[in-house]
Amino acid sequence: MSLLDRKLLRDLRALKSQALAVALVMACGLAMMIMTRSLMLSLETTRDAYYEGHRFAEVFARLKRAPDSARTELAAIPGVARVQTGISIQVTLDVPGLREPAVGLINSLPERGEQVLNKLHVRSGRLPAGRTTTGELAAGEAFAEAHGLKPGDTLSAILNGAKVPFRLSGIVLSPEYVFEAPPGAALPDHRTYGVFWMPYRELATAFQLYGAFNHVALTLAPGASERAVIEAVNRVLAPYGGRGAFGRIDHPSHRRVDDEIRVLQGLAVAFPIVFLGVAAFMTNSVMSRQIALQREQIAMLKACGFANRQIGAHYFKFSLAIVAVGVGVGVVGGVVLGHRLVEMYHLFFRFPQLDFVLDVRVLVAATLVSALAAFVGVAGTVRRAVRLSPAEAMRPEAPANYRPSLVERWGVGRWFSTSFRMALRNIQRRPIRSALTCLALALATAILIVPNSFRDGIAHVIDFQWDVVQRQTVTLSLVEPGPARALADFKHMPGVVWAEPFRFVPVELRAGPITRRLALQGLPAQGTLSRVIDATPRQIALPERGIVMSAKLAAVLQLRPGDSVTARVLEGRGREITVPLVGLAEDFAGTAAYMELGALNRLLLEGDRISGAHVVVERGRWHEFLAAVKETPRIAGCIIKDSLREGFRKTTAESIGLLQKIYMLFATIVAFGIIYNSARISLSERGRELATLRVLGFSRGEVGAVLVSELVLLTLAALPLGLALGSVFAKGILSAVNTETVRLPLVLTPANYAFAVLVVAVASALSALFAARKIAEINLASALKALD
Amino acid sequence: MPAAAPPPSADSGRQSGTGAAIYHVRGLARIYGEGTAAVTALAGVDLDLMAGELIVLLGASGSGKSTLLNQLGGLDSPTHGTLLYRGQDLAAADEAELTHFRRDAVGFVFQAYNLIPSLTARENVALITEICRDPMAPEEALALVGLAERMDHFPAQLSGGEQQRVAIARAIAKRPEVLLCDEPTGALDVKTGITVLEAIERLNRELGTLAVIITHNAILADMADRVFTLSDGRIVDTRENSRRGSVRDLAW
Repeated sequence: MSLLDRKLLRDLRALKSQALAVALVMACGLAMMIMTRSLMLSLETTRDAYYEGHRFAEVFARLKRAPDSARTELAAIPGVARVQTGISIQVTLDVPGLREPAVGLINSLPERGEQVLNKLHVRSGRLPAGRTTTGELAAGEAFAEAHGLKPGDTLSAILNGAKVPFRLSGIVLSPEYVFEAPPGAALPDHRTYGVFWMPYRELATAFQLYGAFNHVALTLAPGASERAVIEAVNRVLAPYGGRGAFGRIDHPSHRRVDDEIRVLQGLAVAFPIVFLGVAAFMTNSVMSRQIALQREQIAMLKACGFANRQIGAHYFKFSLAIVAVGVGVGVVGGVVLGHRLVEMYHLFFRFPQLDFVLDVRVLVAATLVSALAAFVGVAGTVRRAVRLSPAEAMRPEAPANYRPSLVERWGVGRWFSTSFRMALRNIQRRPIRSALTCLALALATAILIVPNSFRDGIAHVIDFQWDVVQRQTVTLSLVEPGPARALADFKHMPGVVWAEPFRFVPVELRAGPITRRLALQGLPAQGTLSRVIDATPRQIALPERGIVMSAKLAAVLQLRPGDSVTARVLEGRGREITVPLVGLAEDFAGTAAYMELGALNRLLLEGDRISGAHVVVERGRWHEFLAAVKETPRIAGCIIKDSLREGFRKTTAESIGLLQKIYMLFATIVAFGIIYNSARISLSERGRELATLRVLGFSRGEVGAVLVSELVLLTLAALPLGLALGSVFAKGILSAVNTETVRLPLVLTPANYAFAVLVVAVASALSALFAARKIAEINLASALKALD
Repeated sequence: MPAAAPPPSADSGRQSGTGAAIYHVRGLARIYGEGTAAVTALAGVDLDLMAGELIVLLGASGSGKSTLLNQLGGLDSPTHGTLLYRGQDLAAADEAELTHFRRDAVGFVFQAYNLIPSLTARENVALITEICRDPMAPEEALALVGLAERMDHFPAQLSGGEQQRVAIARAIAKRPEVLLCDEPTGALDVKTGITVLEAIERLNRELGTLAVIITHNAILADMADRVFTLSDGRIVDTRENSRRGSVRDLAW
């Protein structure tokens, strides 16, 4: 090891706490970048491999009923590679231990051969044996886990009015249900909704569908146009009650995984860049201070014949050592936290295996970015230092030039204390550095705002979506839309104190080239249970004419109130209706579109029909109510609002909540790092001045006040800027993670601001305390010595 | 106050006729480090310093004169020995007591001036007058050192001699009983040095402040009432001037 390197090590040791502060801030940025980017990569590679290995289809279609012969027509469509037809039917389940009825979507397994598309992955047990009646079902993992079901356990399903007992043959996963949510719902409810598979013949026979299918999946030949194939499929299926084919982009499970990746994308770039920027600034300030302190050493080295290049390299090594520690800690932190996040994602994305995949490209890029930031941070200072002639550098630096500060020149100076004036003049003497310190402090404040805005956004959604928008206890749906008088039956169920009807019509909304498939909801104009709320937030009275939709949906369809939108009904006669958009609703659980119930029924030309009712149930008669629901065969589904809320808490809230905690930890480290570093540099720059004051009879506290007043002034200036910046960051990041299935409102609470201010204040106080301790260590006699 | 001519004495710590003893020092020792690494900076110093005296401490580098000055100024505590300031035991004083002692009783002048660069001359003085009891006005202190015209200049706008005179004004503005000067002219040319020493002498005379000056420069000995020469942490020579020479008349 060269002597210069030995000097480097000793200098580093002397500067360890500052070097560590810089390295930690850098590590936070890197960890965050590596964590989120690797998580994205993990999800993408896992998803792609799963889709590939299990032949996830590319185009999907549902229909009323088509004979098996139609399959040949589908296979003959140009551009179609493989076709798989089958039956997919929603049934009511009776699960042991579950008081309310659950809904099961039962899919058929092919009668002959293996599945060609959407192949199942058997997690445990096996697929139902045999081709005929076996009394066996394979259950999706999410539902099985929610009920603790294992192969061999039993449950009953109501098949076409008859209660049939089944035994679970195995627990399976399907690429079609990576995210298992009931149709039309953005949120999972694994307690009351599950996916199952059973042999075709058994299912088809029960529903008199033998020799027919109601579900199609197909893949495209290389180079085929999805659009063209979808149109051709629609033409083939039209006579059979086709409900419109759609591509992966409209596939609910695929869409949800995609949106999650998009959310991570939003988080993976902007935030870490702020961290790395702050780290670069800190490296710069530490290094320029270090070089200023070593001015004479540099002169001596030059005088002894060291080349500028060697001296420059020495200081670059210094900052690279800091970068190395930062990268080391950042990579380890990113990998550890990334693993933790992957485990959590496994809870709501059902992949055969979700492994953490380290994004090496990002790792390399982030390391290069950090090294470059450090390089840029140090380059100017090193250049200035090596440019000095040795003779000049050996002389102590001339006393700094000061002027009365701007505010003093306004004539208010006489009200300031001396230490306050010193602080003001110090700030003004080095305006750029003061501005950068102020900016760094503002960034530290700002990044504290963002994570808590996530938390507050989630809390808002939980309250708003399920207390303000949805006020029912339960949503009951009928097996088939029925006459409006069914509402009276709901009202007479035990425990029901109020019921309001709704109509759900699967539609494809079209505005220009953009389409979206969802359930159009018909609701009473001024409902009191499931309400349509605008951004104010006031209830929107659904008008006689026109459609109201989620603001997000309108944005996706590029519609503004007053524009027209076409809705193609995906059931019955497949009518197409064109209605004006009359209002925008504020909602956070997926997207929705609403019409007044009567108006919707008139457009459908089907008379007064309802799909079910939202009901309020008396708490005391809850069990009685559930028992009655279970005994009513006409009721297909029973969605308990609190379960949905719980589903949200367990998925979106939990994933964002974990990110929030990690970010909060990082932001706090950065806030402390910046403030501590500023105090340290200030202490080192002004050590002599402070020692003089001590000799002159200032107490430690008084000297401490001189030291921290500059930091306090900068912090006070930084706080409002930081709060404003933080609000902008929060807005930017939330709009980046604003997808159709996952989005959060921008909620900025006084508590959030107060917390950020508190963290900065505590960090300042601790740094001041630390500085005060250092002041006690100042060697007073050193002040008497000539400048060293 | 006239410079008195004290009766000669062989004892370095004799009673002076200039006034009551301000410092009473016996067997003062300061040892840095421990065991084999121990360095003895002061090895038993005895002296008494009287109000109104002008004292010069001579000695080579490492002779212990700065250590002695640090002890007198309450910047450091002795390892053993007696150090009384007006009966107050500085050897046993704690941190806060020493701070108060420095604040109220001692004025320091440093070789490197040690002005606060961000404060003007007037503010550098006011900095001290704000924290002590019964100070003189900063303007008055600056007038005493002949800087009435340059009070609103920052240190960077003043010459070395001017900066040192600001430092002296800062030291005396609190009306200290003791003025401790560590090589006050060390960084100055002769002509400027003279103006600075004149300022110190004048204050010693007019305000009756006990002044202790450390210097390498033996010529300064003539301006003192008494001169102590230190070597290896001990006082090896004590000289009394029956008559103090004026600064201008010293053999520059």
